[in-house]
Amino acid sequence: MNNKIKNFFTPAKILAIISIFCAALIAVSFFSDKLVSPLREAVSFVVVPLQRGVNGLGIGVVKGEEKRKTIEELQSYTSELEEKIADLEARNQQLKTDNKELDDLKKLYDMDKSLADYPKVGATIIGISSQNWNESFIIDKGSNDGMEEEMNVISADGLVGIITEVHGNYSKVMTVVSDNSYVTAMDESTKDQCTVKGDISLLDSGKIRLERMKADAGVKDGDKIVTSNISSKYLPGILIGFAGEITEDETGMTKSGYLVPAVDFDHLQNVLVITQKKQVTE
Amino acid sequence: MKRKLCELGLIILFYLLQVSLCRVIAIGGVAPNLMIILPVLFGYFNGSKEGMYTGFCAGIMYDLFFTDLLGFTALMFTLIGFFSGMLSNRYEEGNFVIPIFLTAGAVLFYEFFVFIGNFLLQNRLILSYFMTRVIIPEIVYTVIAMLILYKPLHLLNKVLDSRKRKVKDIDETIL
Repeated sequence: MNNKIKNFFTPAKILAIISIFCAALIAVSFFSDKLVSPLREAVSFVVVPLQRGVNGLGIGVVKGEEKRKTIEELQSYTSELEEKIADLEARNQQLKTDNKELDDLKKLYDMDKSLADYPKVGATIIGISSQNWNESFIIDKGSNDGMEEEMNVISADGLVGIITEVHGNYSKVMTVVSDNSYVTAMDESTKDQCTVKGDISLLDSGKIRLERMKADAGVKDGDKIVTSNISSKYLPGILIGFAGEITEDETGMTKSGYLVPAVDFDHLQNVLVITQKKQVTE
Repeated sequence: MKRKLCELGLIILFYLLQVSLCRVIAIGGVAPNLMIILPVLFGYFNGSKEGMYTGFCAGIMYDLFFTDLLGFTALMFTLIGFFSGMLSNRYEEGNFVIPIFLTAGAVLFYEFFVFIGNFLLQNRLILSYFMTRVIIPEIVYTVIAMLILYKPLHLLNKVLDSRKRKVKDIDETIL
């Protein structure tokens, strides 16, 4: 009996069965996420703690490396930093006075909701997609920690991306440099609307695309590009990066250029998730 | 059974390496595809069934966390395991030519289908760019990773084999 079953399951037949099974899975997951999410939860229950551990190991290795930096290197670094501190102190003084003015003005406009006021939760990156053209990563906070889809993810430097999937103890984040990412943005100073689009073919240059600006837009090279107030998913005023190489399109109706992201995506370790979502009234 | 569990453990280990270590050793944003090495080598060592098993498990593992269509990578990896298993009768210890070509072919096959799904269906025909910038470097990098991992995996395979044989011998003596 046992042998009969063994003889029946030739490799070709097993292949056919698995193929049909996979095709069914693809079809199901194309339409709904409900059937496979229990499986996801079960596997993540085992794997995510392991991932956290491996990540901790990685951080340990990096720290060991840092310790090995030579004293000379550190000394030159210290003097560099001292200069910087002096510079920053001066600037801080300036900013303090500016800030007071800003506060007064904000009160005047009844608009005291700035980026610093949004509730934020820190998270650690525990896995990076290895598909070399789809930049997405996994963070160690999930729905158990109050994460939800479409929450904005930032780092100290600026906008990182948006949460696209949430599971029990982890969530998936799509970065702004990902090929299928679109962000409605604007120039911080001139308020000209534009679109920031990730592009795989610009992988080497470390830039992404800046599109759909009006021909009369006053965007200049080096301008700060922030998320727009008309964006449906992104909170307004988060820095994305700096504009460059702005040229007029062939049609003469629009302008486009490139954007250098403010965030260093290669060395990202910790991110902040803004737990307040943009509310769109329909 | 022990063998299958051991392979499952190996898949999880490779997955962890893939999502953490590969980011550190990536050159120009291109990282080696470690997961694909498992179905290729286990298929080549032990035949189609083994290759399909490791391919399916590794693919599902990857799909669960990173692909939107669950089952896509699993299907691709299963096919890869099946085809490398077909060459297992040509298995020879110390022969690196077949595994190198199998690995290269597997990465090409997989990445090409990913390309179709992600870009061709969105009407973006930039295949030549992908070939030179992503796929070919990934092939080279993965082949190098495979050559490094070949010896340990081969050894592990042998250890698992000998244990299986021992159990069989005991069974036969009892009978």
